[in-house]
Amino acid sequence: MTDPVPDPAPHPLLDELPGDLMIWVLIISELLVFGAGFAAFLSVRLTDPAGFAEAQTHLHRTGAALNTIVLITSGYLAAQALTLRRAARRGAARLALVAAAALGAVFLVIKGIEYADKAAQGITYDTHPFFMFYYLLTGFHAAHVIAGILLLLLVAWRDAPENIETGAAFWHMVDLVWVLLFPVIYLLA
Amino acid sequence: MRPDILTRAWVALIVLSGLSAVAAGLINRGVDIRVTGTAVLLLALIKARIILAHYLGLAAAPSWRRGFNLSLTLFCILLLGLYLIPAF
Repeated sequence: MTDPVPDPAPHPLLDELPGDLMIWVLIISELLVFGAGFAAFLSVRLTDPAGFAEAQTHLHRTGAALNTIVLITSGYLAAQALTLRRAARRGAARLALVAAAALGAVFLVIKGIEYADKAAQGITYDTHPFFMFYYLLTGFHAAHVIAGILLLLLVAWRDAPENIETGAAFWHMVDLVWVLLFPVIYLLA
Repeated sequence: MRPDILTRAWVALIVLSGLSAVAAGLINRGVDIRVTGTAVLLLALIKARIILAHYLGLAAAPSWRRGFNLSLTLFCILLLGLYLIPAF
């Protein structure tokens, strides 16, 4: 007779984290990448603060502010979806997730309008270093929004509470990055 | 009926976003960028802390919440320093 396999040693600190450990590894990694981008942006700005301020006047602050409201509301719906699913209200949870994904699509439409306006003005990534960072950071963030929308729809379909918690956590990370990206790129002239 | 914690967090985020827009608008009215920049980044920091605590659920994980809050605060101080260097 073989000895029973002992339980793995408990990790009180790791056990405290809500949801899956790996999504937190991803969240911290993404925050570090975007954080390095923001710090690099403000470091390069030191070489030409007037040029960066002038370039920023070409951005649509109103559209970006609207997108902040859209993402914050979308995050709220994703968070509510988990609460609803835990209360066994599957239909309402799925509806909240689809609505959150739809708001993600609204975010992308507004972002697309902003990019189209820049293109119409002849502004590209090499117009000024400001725009290189603008396209790099907002484009990378938009790619995460697309991934997040797909993830929200996936967990609306495979709607175990653990799946919803993981999908919503990814979406909140996208939300969190935008909350920091918006002031750095759009507001700090 | 009192709104739940998530709804209160959402309302707070909307209000703070409005305040950020007002603070940024003050730059065009001649207010010192050291004041407006600090206000804008402080509001962003508060919003990030709300998302971490209530959307991501770190309110139930106080050790992690403290760690994230400290890291974010130090990061925002770094950003503010980089932003304000040309102003001195």
